[in-house]
Amino acid sequence: MIALTDTERKQYSNIWVVAEVLSGKIQPVTQELIGAAKELADARKSEVWTVVVGSGISEQAETLFAFGADAVLVVDDPGLARFNDELEANVLIRLIRKYKPEVVICGATSRGRALIPRVAVTLDCGLTADCTGLSIDPENGDLLQTRPAFGGNIMATIRCSNHRPQMATVRPRVMKAPDADPQRTGRIIRETVIGPDRENIKKIIDVFYNTESVVNLADAQIIISGGRGMKGPDGFKLLKRFASLVGGAVGASRAAVDSGWIPYAHQIGQTGQTVQTKIYIACGISGQIQHLVGMQSCDRIIAIDKDPNTPMMQMADLSIAGDVFEIVPEIIRQIPKL
Amino acid sequence: MKIVVCIKQVPAANDAKIDPETKRIIREGQKAVLNPFDTYALEEGVRLKSLLGGEVIALTMGPPKAEAVLREAISVGADRAILLSDRGFGGSDTWATSYALSKAIEKIGDVNLVICGKQAVDGDTAQVGPGIAAHLSLQQATYVMAIQDVTTESITVQRMHEEGYDICELHLPAVITVLKDINVPRVPTLKGRLASQKCDIPVWKPADIGAEPDKIGLDGSPTRVVRTQPPPARNTKSIRIEGTPQECAQALVKDLRLRSIL
Amino acid sequence: MFDTIKNKIYHVEILPPKQETEKLETDLENFANKYNRVMESGYYACITDNAMGHLSFQGTELIEELELPVYPEQIMIHLNTFHTREDLDNILNTCRSKGIKYLLIVSGDGSERLPKLQPADIGAEGVESVTSVELLKYIQREYAGAFVSGVAFNPYEPEDHEFAKMERKLAAGASFIITQPLIEKNPVVDRLLDRYPDVPVTIEAWMSKKIYLLSEAVGYEIPENTAYDPIATLKMLHRLYPKCGVYLSLLGFKTQYDLIRDTWV
Repeated sequence: MIALTDTERKQYSNIWVVAEVLSGKIQPVTQELIGAAKELADARKSEVWTVVVGSGISEQAETLFAFGADAVLVVDDPGLARFNDELEANVLIRLIRKYKPEVVICGATSRGRALIPRVAVTLDCGLTADCTGLSIDPENGDLLQTRPAFGGNIMATIRCSNHRPQMATVRPRVMKAPDADPQRTGRIIRETVIGPDRENIKKIIDVFYNTESVVNLADAQIIISGGRGMKGPDGFKLLKRFASLVGGAVGASRAAVDSGWIPYAHQIGQTGQTVQTKIYIACGISGQIQHLVGMQSCDRIIAIDKDPNTPMMQMADLSIAGDVFEIVPEIIRQIPKL
Repeated sequence: MKIVVCIKQVPAANDAKIDPETKRIIREGQKAVLNPFDTYALEEGVRLKSLLGGEVIALTMGPPKAEAVLREAISVGADRAILLSDRGFGGSDTWATSYALSKAIEKIGDVNLVICGKQAVDGDTAQVGPGIAAHLSLQQATYVMAIQDVTTESITVQRMHEEGYDICELHLPAVITVLKDINVPRVPTLKGRLASQKCDIPVWKPADIGAEPDKIGLDGSPTRVVRTQPPPARNTKSIRIEGTPQECAQALVKDLRLRSIL
Repeated sequence: MFDTIKNKIYHVEILPPKQETEKLETDLENFANKYNRVMESGYYACITDNAMGHLSFQGTELIEELELPVYPEQIMIHLNTFHTREDLDNILNTCRSKGIKYLLIVSGDGSERLPKLQPADIGAEGVESVTSVELLKYIQREYAGAFVSGVAFNPYEPEDHEFAKMERKLAAGASFIITQPLIEKNPVVDRLLDRYPDVPVTIEAWMSKKIYLLSEAVGYEIPENTAYDPIATLKMLHRLYPKCGVYLSLLGFKTQYDLIRDTWV
């Protein structure tokens, strides 16, 4: 692809965060990314803009200054009430062409993963998905994007030297949201949807909401997993309550699945799923190697077991020796207090 | 209905061992298999064809050995398959990959629907589906968990998101990426496999699809991997908590707060 | 099954070709050769079902496509819970129509490529997951009288769990037992034999020199260079367990097949 010239590249500046809006509400990943964007903007001596696209979204948009946005670019239109890939892409593409941000980051959510690749391809620029790290190369100002590859066994650093903007998506809860500073202010830039934006876009006919939160193992930030020590299906009901309080998914060892206590879809290990979550809490799982290969790459492993010497208890970063049936209910009791 | 299903050959994950020193998984990646998510895309294509009539064409970009996944596609019901393979395609990132695939789809001609799996388990970026839609200026729906209706002009799908799902109506031709929820893929039969051995699978090169040389392979890739390194070493210092259930619970809850879970 | 013990008939495990194979023709030929050899020797051919979760072809498919001879007293098909209901019925109907009557019912190894039976698929109530117990019940109900089904016993898993499972398996209709590989006298298997004197028990013999591969199965580390003589172990197992049949896994058809002719004395 034809690289931008130096002159062309220098026309791009500022770090954009595309706000994650779900069902009319700005989601926490937005604040997390503003925090990350602030560090990039400081290194580049430029500004953080947050692009908020939605319907009836203006008031919420203004709350973002507190987290570090210097400017908030708002597009408020009834047609944006539900996520419409083509419409939002058309709007974002047009705004990027107009304002030329150097970097655009967005949450790697169902929306972000649909929207940003479409935008990146149309703009002939590079996109790195699911970044765990973002920084500025001090030598040339390029964005360095780090992400895991090959199932978490290597970390790859990616750069997009010759095209602008440099685009990246980041999963929720990877970056830390900054503390809100209500004194902070900034400026609002209002843009509108124009006619051509609405050409060749899909129709959204209806909307359904889940009655209970369903988190699947692949996307979960935290997994509460049970093994033989859970003694039966009731043990897993307990773990499910724990998981739903922390927004996590429930996993299981093969022993638990083979005993018929929990469906195979929850099995983690060599003949089940491999997970790479942030926090893995193993309850009553001894840690046979067939299970370990399924969760070794998790960032933090916590184990709860009566037996202090199991392979899982020895491998865990934090091991808690005790009865799961006393400790987990106590955890559940303590959580809502916060 | 003319349906193109884009599939990918990826390293097999089954033969994992743990390296005793680094405590990381060693993947013996010599064996290559069909990307598991793509089996759902193929199944949906074959299912739609059996309901509506038409043709399912399996398409992949890869080295010559990627032909194996195309034969597998035929063994589960694809009518024919095409392999995009050439040195010129090597080193493609998702921009260049979606470009090449979209040129091939244009060359196939009169395609009504493009189906992709949600993501590839090796790259995991989930970018190629929307990328194809962008290159071809088609409407797209990702995270499709069910197809509700198909007419000559449109397709109506259930598109999943974090809080539920939307029902979307797309104008055909369109691109969809599908989730595992959408169906249960049939397992290839020996009969199907033996029949697929006899099929001729054409190999298309950049010139065959009118691909501009600076839009494929490394030249067509705006992103570059500049470094790879092992992940940060696992902190081997293990902390042990004992005490009353209240104390144990307190310690765990504190830990979760520290890590922004609560 | 007691006949196999009385008449010293080995169970010989044969794995179907994996679907990912790049040399399908050769693999099919090798399978047919092994199968035919086992038939000619009068042994049992025990054909696995996606062993280790590796997507493979089915024994019934191979028998049909390769037109292999079916001797009902010499074939055992493994069957696990990783199938759609439709596929499961296809396999069972094919077995029944061909007169294959011995089945080894196991929960099995799953993988991303394999579907899984759900309780509702086979009318199983009050369970979260389908195990060999539910599958056995289904077969007994829907294919009553057609099959003689056996189950697995793992002496390396916690004993009380395994015995509790065995009770459920036998209650569900299992009529014979096959154990995990034994490399020495095993007190848990001894207790199994005491507990169920009327159930034919077949012990598995590991015929590969690579004994360290069993580390995962037995739950303790066997060093990679551990010396192991499969034939000597086989003879020892015959001596230790004269009331049991023997199931040979990883039998070397080129190097060991002729040697086993005289081991069961």
